[in-house]
Amino acid sequence: MPPSIHPVDLIAALRQKHLTPVIVFLTSRRACDEAMESFDHADIVLPPVRQDAIAAALERVIAQYPSIAEHPLIPTVRRIGVAAHHAGHLPSWKIAVEELMRQGCLDAVFATTTLAAGVDFPARTVVITQSSIRKSRDFTDLTIGEVQQIAGRAGRRGKDQVGFAVVTPSPYIDLGVLTKGFTGHPEAIDSQFTISYPMVLNLLKAHPHEQIQAILAKSFAQFQLNQRAELLERKLDALHIQMEPFGPRVCTDWITQWQTFDQARRQKPSRHQIRRHESPEVSARFHFLTPGRVVGLTRGRGIVLRQYRSKGQKSPMVTVLRPNGAVTECPAPSVSEVFDRVFDCEEAPVYPWCTTETFDELSHQLAELPTRVPVLPILVSKDSEPLPDAIVQSLGDFPCPTCPSRPACQKDFETASRLRQEQQRHTKSIQALRTSLWHRFQERVEVLQKFGYLTSHAQLTSEGEWARLIRIDHSLLITELIRAEAFSGADPSVLTGIMASIAHDDDRPGAFPRISSGLSSLLGQVRKLGESLSPYEDPPLLRADVAALAERWIADPALTWIGLCRLTTMAEGDIYRLLARTLEFLSQIHTLKATHPGLADSASQAIALIRRGVLEELP
Amino acid sequence: MTTDELEKLLAQQPVAVLHRLARGRVQRHFRAGKRRLIELILQHSSQNRAGLESDLQALVGERQSRAQQPISPAQTTRRPAAALPKRMPSRGGEPESSEPAVSLAAWFEGIGVPPPQPFVPDPWQEEALAALSDTDVVVSVPTGSGKTYVAVEAACRAMEDNRSVIYTSPLKALSNTKYTEFSRIFGADKVGILTGDRQENGQAPLLIMTTEILRNLLYDAASGEIDVRLDTLGLVILDESQYIADPERGVVWEETIIFSPSQAKLLLLSASIGNPQDIADWLTSIRPTACRLVRHSKRTVPLRAGYLHPNGKLTPLFKTLGIPYGHAGQLHPEAKRLFFEYEEETLPSGRPRR
Repeated sequence: MPPSIHPVDLIAALRQKHLTPVIVFLTSRRACDEAMESFDHADIVLPPVRQDAIAAALERVIAQYPSIAEHPLIPTVRRIGVAAHHAGHLPSWKIAVEELMRQGCLDAVFATTTLAAGVDFPARTVVITQSSIRKSRDFTDLTIGEVQQIAGRAGRRGKDQVGFAVVTPSPYIDLGVLTKGFTGHPEAIDSQFTISYPMVLNLLKAHPHEQIQAILAKSFAQFQLNQRAELLERKLDALHIQMEPFGPRVCTDWITQWQTFDQARRQKPSRHQIRRHESPEVSARFHFLTPGRVVGLTRGRGIVLRQYRSKGQKSPMVTVLRPNGAVTECPAPSVSEVFDRVFDCEEAPVYPWCTTETFDELSHQLAELPTRVPVLPILVSKDSEPLPDAIVQSLGDFPCPTCPSRPACQKDFETASRLRQEQQRHTKSIQALRTSLWHRFQERVEVLQKFGYLTSHAQLTSEGEWARLIRIDHSLLITELIRAEAFSGADPSVLTGIMASIAHDDDRPGAFPRISSGLSSLLGQVRKLGESLSPYEDPPLLRADVAALAERWIADPALTWIGLCRLTTMAEGDIYRLLARTLEFLSQIHTLKATHPGLADSASQAIALIRRGVLEELP
Repeated sequence: MTTDELEKLLAQQPVAVLHRLARGRVQRHFRAGKRRLIELILQHSSQNRAGLESDLQALVGERQSRAQQPISPAQTTRRPAAALPKRMPSRGGEPESSEPAVSLAAWFEGIGVPPPQPFVPDPWQEEALAALSDTDVVVSVPTGSGKTYVAVEAACRAMEDNRSVIYTSPLKALSNTKYTEFSRIFGADKVGILTGDRQENGQAPLLIMTTEILRNLLYDAASGEIDVRLDTLGLVILDESQYIADPERGVVWEETIIFSPSQAKLLLLSASIGNPQDIADWLTSIRPTACRLVRHSKRTVPLRAGYLHPNGKLTPLFKTLGIPYGHAGQLHPEAKRLFFEYEEETLPSGRPRR
């Protein structure tokens, strides 16, 4: 969606007020592209002098990065002096835009906020059109830190006396979020420490197991956990003071004593209960005689409408709907069979114990019921004696009834026990805060022991020695694949395809080339392994289409970058990022040359093949 | 109180009171106009009317007592005057403030290029550099205040001492930019780059890398592989270190900081964050020397906020010339009016127009 003001008008207005150069932050890549398109026929062209300056500057960048020579945005950039800059573009294009902006050639850049943190070019003005950004599918409000990061791009040191942040409304704007962002104090940041498998292996390689806890204690995560623990400790101290009047009385631990006494006292039945003499079969069965249940009676079948116990009846009772529409009361023992069939039954408090609709529906269902309905197997447990007699009898042993401090205990018990519970809770959470990192580490150690990367004494096995060199996401999956020799004999293009599908974590849909059968069957294996590892490591997306794209780039050395881009609907920048990330994964595999020479060789071949065209030209 | 009475009473209140009343009751109440707000409040409180009424009474009472406070019995003659603005049909319900809002002309004042002046480092930059000679430093300053100057100058000083420097940034793109920039400053032979897929001049005294690469180097060194680059290491610069709070990659910053050799100084450069003191305290607790925090909240180039209406009308966003830090409510009346107008026009509901 474009901002509610037309991009051409926006730039014209800002130019007229001398607020250029400007960075316009838009919600999405598409918004940026659409904004650029809207300049196609705009007549706010630059004077020829500036057009020439842009052309000259572009020339210099193109000499360095020939891949952008044919970029479709170049005419607009030269004519109007506006450009788009987002993750869908090639890095070389982004470098070109940044360079033009630095030289002061451009009037406006349309960018996405996701990139605000990653670019290093300021302007006189920033235009904000949104107050939320897309974070993994959902839109979330910008934080104060993010708003200030965006606004911080306004005002160039040495080139501007003041910077301007201009808000312009669009359907995605909430002025409150933005004003709070401008004027607020940035949020505190929290540690996001996670313990990964390669971290465990590398730590254990360098340090003995018993030193690890001290190392983990040095993390910012533990520092912040300690801060929270200290807060709780202060609360705990306060609780200690509050607990002072409830110190030892006649018994040292009177709270527990009173609690047990109180429980026992309450459990003693206050009045004699009616003892029912039912056979265990009947009481077991009675639980199943819920409204809607189909039951067999001595004559015909019926559907239970309600169940009840009545003082006037010896047995528990059920009300049953009979096939002729009659509603009859039957004692539960007269139910001969309980069928495995329950209908929805909307209960009602008065006769006929269900709503009229349900009644009609049930009568209909009963008439339609097949002759053979499976019988519900019901287990009968013989020992149904839950009476806590022992406690009741031991009541006499308590000193409490005759104790002199009994009234005091009874009065204070509620407060004291609440305070004590709080104390226990705090103590427990303090302990958890102090040791949680260590526990998480131990969990990882256990998994690695299970897979044979660590010995039972937490030392690296020969497998662990090489596995620690794979320090990327999904490392467990990759090392397990290597151990299963999934790549033996696979040629570089298949290896690249698999690595690309493991590396790619974007679920933007797109159209892609067909996948080769070799890669597809291997990918099936990888997927299976990934699923079996899912209790220990989140499986990657493993998209076959992405794998096919990367494979094609390796398998066909004659394929040009333009040709590759035509094979898919993925944006250029995304393809570049996919291949660059795959390259990183492959170079990790390349480090295994000592233990897996064949695989490392295959990886280095793939690396050499990936680096061509645009990927070679760029850093 | 009947619904009608309540509605009438609500209608008599200024919008500010209604917004306070709506807080916690109506979602996104700040979007709604007065009439709509009353509607929403009543709708929400159909279950708990008593709660609403008591809150309303409290707010009204508070207002009255506040209105009466400054008027001492001797000044009764001024009373009608003081009561006057309350009876006026206050549109928009701006909080009363004696200061007039800034004019557009004043807002524009100063726009343009400053006269060229010799570069003088800011006091905070000097402070950071001075502190770095004997301890670790955490710098938390707003975007665009000149962190790069501190990085360059610190690197320069370390290299004069024959110590090597590692500079890390979170993104490959940033690393590449810095590589070009530093090569220009120090000469191409003095600067090297190591990223996941690029290695150039890997033995240079100033190495630029992504934080992940440095983490890997440190792990390799810890497990016994000798790396001369780490032996002579005098300074580690971690740019954009607010990334320590990144859900996926933050852990890498922690690992890097924990395993950085103790003889090297750490320089953490970060954008404004809420708790830089925590980071500094943490470094103090794990590093041999007490860490120095340099924070600075004033921007070098002052910032002004504006509001551009879709019809092309530009107004200041806040009543004050600069950003009124800590006072989000001080909107410029004109900006506020235009924005409400925009909301009125674009909100899809078919509610009555004023």
